[in-house]
Amino acid sequence: MRGARLPWRRWALLAFLGLFILFLYGPTITILVLSFQGPDGGLTFPMNGVSVVWFERLFEKQAVGDFAGSLTRSFSLAIMVTLATVLIAVTAGFAFRRRFPGSDLLFTLTVASLVIPSILVSLGIGLLFNQAGLDPTWYGSAFGAQLTWTLPFGLLIMFAVFNRFNPAWEEAANDLGASPWQRVRHVVLPIVTPSVIGIALFGFTLSYDEFARTLLTAGSDNTLPLEIFGMTTNVTTPVLYALGTVTTLFSFLLIGLTLLALRVIVRTRR
Amino acid sequence: MRMPGKATMGLGRRGLLAAAGVAAGSGAITGFPTIWAQNIKNVTLRQFGTGVSNLNAIADKVKADLGFTLSMTALDSDAVTQKAVTQPKSFDIADIEYWICKKVYPTGTLQPMEVKRIKYFDKIVPTFTSGRLTPTTPIAQGTAPHTVSFVDSPTAKTFAAGQTGWMTLIPTIYNADTLGIRPDLVGRPITHWKDLMDPAFKGKASILNIPSIGIMDAAMVMESMGRIKYADKGNMTKPEIDKTIGFLIEAKKAGQFRAFWKTFDESVNLMAAGEVIIQSMWSPAVAAVRSKGIPCVYQPLAEGYRAWGGGLGIARHLSGLERDAAYEYINWYLSGWVGAYLNRQGYYSAVLETSKQHMSADEWGFWMEGKPAKADILSPEGKVMEKAGAVRDGGSFQERMGAVACWNSVMTEDRYMVQKWNEFIAA
Amino acid sequence: MMSRHWSAWLQATPLACVLGVFLLLPMVVLVVVSFYDYDSVQVIPAFVLTNYQEALGSAVTWRIYVNTLRYTLIVWAITVTLGFGVAYVLAFEIRNRTAQTMLFLVCTVPFLTSNIIRMISWIPFLGREGLLNTALQRAGLIDVPLEFLLFSDFAVILAYVHLYTLFMITPIFNAMMRIDRGLIEAAIDGGARFRQVISQVILPLCKPGIAIGSIFVVTMVMGDFITVRFMSGGQSASVGLMISNQISLLQYPAACANAVILLAVVLMMIAAITRIIDIRKEL
Repeated sequence: MRGARLPWRRWALLAFLGLFILFLYGPTITILVLSFQGPDGGLTFPMNGVSVVWFERLFEKQAVGDFAGSLTRSFSLAIMVTLATVLIAVTAGFAFRRRFPGSDLLFTLTVASLVIPSILVSLGIGLLFNQAGLDPTWYGSAFGAQLTWTLPFGLLIMFAVFNRFNPAWEEAANDLGASPWQRVRHVVLPIVTPSVIGIALFGFTLSYDEFARTLLTAGSDNTLPLEIFGMTTNVTTPVLYALGTVTTLFSFLLIGLTLLALRVIVRTRR
Repeated sequence: MRMPGKATMGLGRRGLLAAAGVAAGSGAITGFPTIWAQNIKNVTLRQFGTGVSNLNAIADKVKADLGFTLSMTALDSDAVTQKAVTQPKSFDIADIEYWICKKVYPTGTLQPMEVKRIKYFDKIVPTFTSGRLTPTTPIAQGTAPHTVSFVDSPTAKTFAAGQTGWMTLIPTIYNADTLGIRPDLVGRPITHWKDLMDPAFKGKASILNIPSIGIMDAAMVMESMGRIKYADKGNMTKPEIDKTIGFLIEAKKAGQFRAFWKTFDESVNLMAAGEVIIQSMWSPAVAAVRSKGIPCVYQPLAEGYRAWGGGLGIARHLSGLERDAAYEYINWYLSGWVGAYLNRQGYYSAVLETSKQHMSADEWGFWMEGKPAKADILSPEGKVMEKAGAVRDGGSFQERMGAVACWNSVMTEDRYMVQKWNEFIAA
Repeated sequence: MMSRHWSAWLQATPLACVLGVFLLLPMVVLVVVSFYDYDSVQVIPAFVLTNYQEALGSAVTWRIYVNTLRYTLIVWAITVTLGFGVAYVLAFEIRNRTAQTMLFLVCTVPFLTSNIIRMISWIPFLGREGLLNTALQRAGLIDVPLEFLLFSDFAVILAYVHLYTLFMITPIFNAMMRIDRGLIEAAIDGGARFRQVISQVILPLCKPGIAIGSIFVVTMVMGDFITVRFMSGGQSASVGLMISNQISLLQYPAACANAVILLAVVLMMIAAITRIIDIRKEL
């Protein structure tokens, strides 16, 4: 086990991790390179010159589709889903700290929600809205469809937190005369907070990139993944890759900010 | 959501054309806009369709010419069908293909349009009204547009046998498809549909994976090889379907196909990347490959073309001012600017006369009459598509649309055909 | 007594409502519609068994299920191996806490780029004239481009592994982080070798993580339709693709019948996994 005893194994393992990350980033790198494709270049190699024209086009209106609109929708939807997921999952997490009549059933339902293939959920909700005579919309049916995907994640994370949660802390607070609200506010919430950020990050990512569940439930306006898919019915250009590159950079930024936030939380708590 | 000031994004030529269009559109030639209530500006019509014709340039022009907002959603052809049927209130205007119309219209999500309110009805290419391009052209097999264009009354859900006062779809865009080839890689002249199955192209051929379209390509190949003679390609019997699919499975197992494509873009990329050197293709897709500097030919074949067409339909729920706006939009659509725009992409428009007014003589000669281009031919975005002297593959409009052997179709045995098609894909 | 339940119920209500409306009801609709009849244009409310008869009676359905299960099994085997390996390195070989977090996050970044874009970008890499083939040819390793790289089972599985390994890494990593380091020290002090530590200490303690990861991967591969379509170039079929084809052709009842069958299969597989491990306790 010790690196000192068997350095070659440690190096081999680290090399393995490195290779895996390379594999993971392979397409990202392809995207990065191709997003600098020349003005006449296409989605595939060979490169036809080098330019930044596709980044400029990204912020212009496309021949088909509407990046700006769908990006705004996807972003708003992801924020909505994130907030709802955090609120609902954390609250439900509290409920599940004890057994209550129906808790097994609800838990089974949550797991089912996670494992039922997305296309089935999408189809079911689409048909349900159709039968009920309701209009599917991205902020209604698609919002609900995405929650069936993000909530189980959120709840599972809450379980993981509470399973490791030492009730002695709460009891101690109790003994010190804290009210139930004070107990939650000063003992439980601080311990839960990092995981809540995790839930939020999960919720945002899962929603932002959700395709199958949104496909039949988004109504008249496309979310970004649907827009990208729809755009492939016409000549797609390396604008797609420019979008991918920008997304990756944005993700790094987002993660950097999250790390910063975590650090601030840790520091204030000290 | 829409970016202001981008209406004339393509500069140069297109800017000029747009300016010409404004002049034309604002009443000088076509009489638009007519007497409009001011509140029409608040109307938003939601249109959806495939990326082929859901172009932002059209929405911008609508705003400029007619004053109301047209919001466009581009989807793949599967999603288009689903949306038309299952989300009837999520759209106002449906931009669908005729074979999709055959499936969608009977579900009651669209309302027919009054022929007398369609200004250019009499000038629509007769293929869409009578099925014959000229009085002597034979009617092609398959779901020919005129067979699903008319209904007897606003409530009828079955198609009428002939012309009536109610139209289901107003034709917008259509074309004749054939095989696209990479002349640099096929190494020999391609003349018949059967060449798709030449063992020399093993692992380098492709066909469309949309059952209603792919089966027609397969039928053209089968007949060309002399394997079968269909009574009606567009409406096969079960044994005919079995035989056709059986043949496709055989070819697939032998490794003839590299991939199957489903979207415009896939077909372009397969060809451009050299994955496939011969496949059924759409004319603008061929142009898209060529615009990357890669040789690609849209090859006319002895047996003729497989044609397709799309049109605009009005959602059942539309009424009042919005419906008026929809009619106004449709009349505007046929008034020439859009037609010229589509023609310049290599598609055909429904009313030739008006489109011609929006194109230069040289453009018209190149795209529609099969004449050599006198100057460089530009795309609607102002990019050079063809150099001066080029002649369009397949020749003139008459030569192409007059040689249509069949249309994309929905058969009586559709359900069975689709099952068998899935068998082919799974094989 | 009751009041305690009341607060729990109150806290659980939002979750129950969302799942009730957006999961339970839609599934009921699926089951109902699976008994409807249809023709080429519309769905006809009825009670017929033809959809199930056609689905189960057709050799194609079975072949597609076998194919999908084959994908699932292969992808599961690869992701579990890779996932375990990567999680192990992250959890035990990287000792610096910050480096650990950073590396883990680095692993997650590509997942924020659209699945579709990431999938499409494999095509220029693997294609006949793609990066890999060009590189191999230039290096003189091959004469003719390798064709199996794209539009093949290989490409499909590669894309799956690429898309889903993170879902395996995360829970396993999570489980590993909970292992008491003293346990491992003790095992080593007791003379256990590397392999024994892995197989007798770490692996058993990671089972819940592996189970959760497996649930994700199995579910996602079983229900996928988009990866198969893009990466096999339409040459292969999966259950999800079959359903999505039927949806696109408006054969809703047939799609629903297949959906119900798929649902049953997936739920059984998951039940089998949860039989072995009680996820709820082990999180």
